[in-house]
Amino acid sequence: MNNIVEARNLEKHYGDFKALDGVDLSISPGSITGLIGPNGAGKTTALKALIGLCDVEGDLTVAGKDPRDARHKLMEEVCFIADVGILPKWLRVNQLIDYVEAVHPRFNRARAEKFLSTTEIPPRKRIKELSKGMVTQLHLATVMAIDVQLLVLDEPTLGLDIIYRKEFYDRLLNDYYDGNRTIIISTHQVEEIETLLSHLVFINKGKIILDAQMAELDALYTEVIIEPEHLAQADALKPIYTRDLLGKKAYTFESVPRSQLEPFGETGTPSVADLFVAKMKEGEHE
Amino acid sequence: MLQLKKLLLRNRFSVLLATLAVYMLVLVIEGAITGREARVVDLENPFFDLTVREFQDRSGAL
Amino acid sequence: MNKLALNQFIALLYREVLENRNLFIGAPAVLALLLFVFAAWFVSLTPGWELATGIEYLSVIFEGLSPTEMAPILMIPAIPFMMMLFFCGLIYLLNALYQDRKDMSVFFWQSMPVSNVKTVLSKVVTIAIVAPVFYVAVLFVVYVIALLSLTLFGIILDVQVAGLGYLFLGAVASLALVYLSAFVTSLWLLPSVGWLLLFSAFAKRTPILWAAGVFILIGFLEDFIFGSQYLANWVESRGNPSHYIIYHFSDVADRLFSYDMLFGVLVGSILLVGAICMRRFID
Repeated sequence: MNNIVEARNLEKHYGDFKALDGVDLSISPGSITGLIGPNGAGKTTALKALIGLCDVEGDLTVAGKDPRDARHKLMEEVCFIADVGILPKWLRVNQLIDYVEAVHPRFNRARAEKFLSTTEIPPRKRIKELSKGMVTQLHLATVMAIDVQLLVLDEPTLGLDIIYRKEFYDRLLNDYYDGNRTIIISTHQVEEIETLLSHLVFINKGKIILDAQMAELDALYTEVIIEPEHLAQADALKPIYTRDLLGKKAYTFESVPRSQLEPFGETGTPSVADLFVAKMKEGEHE
Repeated sequence: MLQLKKLLLRNRFSVLLATLAVYMLVLVIEGAITGREARVVDLENPFFDLTVREFQDRSGAL
Repeated sequence: MNKLALNQFIALLYREVLENRNLFIGAPAVLALLLFVFAAWFVSLTPGWELATGIEYLSVIFEGLSPTEMAPILMIPAIPFMMMLFFCGLIYLLNALYQDRKDMSVFFWQSMPVSNVKTVLSKVVTIAIVAPVFYVAVLFVVYVIALLSLTLFGIILDVQVAGLGYLFLGAVASLALVYLSAFVTSLWLLPSVGWLLLFSAFAKRTPILWAAGVFILIGFLEDFIFGSQYLANWVESRGNPSHYIIYHFSDVADRLFSYDMLFGVLVGSILLVGAICMRRFID
């Protein structure tokens, strides 16, 4: 099956600043991809490029189309939620639903209303009168009622409290994701979405610094809590990241066979958060 | 052709320049062909007819 | 046009009205209110017999006149409304492709399967066809209330009021002229509409400064490069406000199908294509 996203050598400059610097990305249908990076790493630019909201250079195909030429056609296949606050503030909730119903051929009004009825959003309120969490709920309810192949979420839970954040991802996974749809989520809060993901991409300073399936991480990365007597040997294998752990040292290795590391101490797979820190630090040494 | 399209759609400034260039060219060429002066369409207005004619008469007399 | 495309377009127009309800409904309504306050003040200062004479006079001179004959003169009370529509239209067009970029909601609008062509065209249709409807509707309400009050006063003061019915018909006919004037003027000024939309889509801030600044610059450039002043001449002829009002129904076809009108539509279209292409750059 063809990949839903194929990007080769994407470049985007803002003056001298390189927001995207040779980004290659392939995303297969049915995956949930996490695009993780610090603020200003190029996450938003990359996602906006995917859906034609930002002009980039390079080869780009999304759902079989070039988003730069056919944004409005592509938007029949793709939905987008950005960090809260992009819904027009002067619109009322029911007017928003009316608008989407009129312009989107794949919108199911009954479904949206069903989602909305489980929230406390009053249908006659203006969007500017809603709390941040409610706006996100509303946007999610709208988007979940649209039957598309690809959902792009850019920091969707930024600035929300923990209850809204948890509910957001619960709904996404239970009510929306069906194994066929593809979801791309960008965030800098790694821990929250770690368990959802099937594909992990780290981005920093406009470059992809890690691109792996979650299932591959076991084979690629090993974290070892080193016994003191093996420290010298472990250092020789060039860990990509070391940290102190309850008086011992925890080393993270890349592409070193686990069998080779087992004698040094207790081995395991690093958490995405640790891996993220490791890859970010690695980048700084270069 | 594709190259040209790419060049014109490169950024907001290229689009602006291209649009304004076409705009200027069309205006200047049309102006040159028609020898355009500030043309004012005559208005057939029953209520102000009288004043206009008076004005013309007066300026003609001068 | 298929059903979806039509529904999309109607939804876009509806969006424009909702977003700009202050410019299209609020502004003329406030003007109407001011007019009534002024009229009430005037009536309160006028002695009863003068009012009675005035009403009778109106009733007598308009009795039996055909509405289309009266319509041109009855456009006079609509002139402040037409000027307001002109200025609100200016504000509307400058903000039309700028406001949503400023408040970030552009990322929502552009995440819907609506093409840039439709978006930009919806703005043109809004200013040429939709906005004048609201102005005319407000004027209609004003005329209804005014005529009812005059009739009421007439009956109370015991003067003849039958002719006021003709006056009302004439006023309604004049509203048709007001609407046609607004529509024809939008087309006549399509180059200005295109220009404002182009810079509304272009500017990262203060579209008005860009629109005005570049305009002046281009005028100088023409003089400098080509040694001609066609732009200035052309603007002068197009800027003449006497072109903005249609006094006779029979003038409409002449205005619409004149060479100057068609050339203006061509030039305006060039600028609108520019605005449509500009809409790619929303960040």
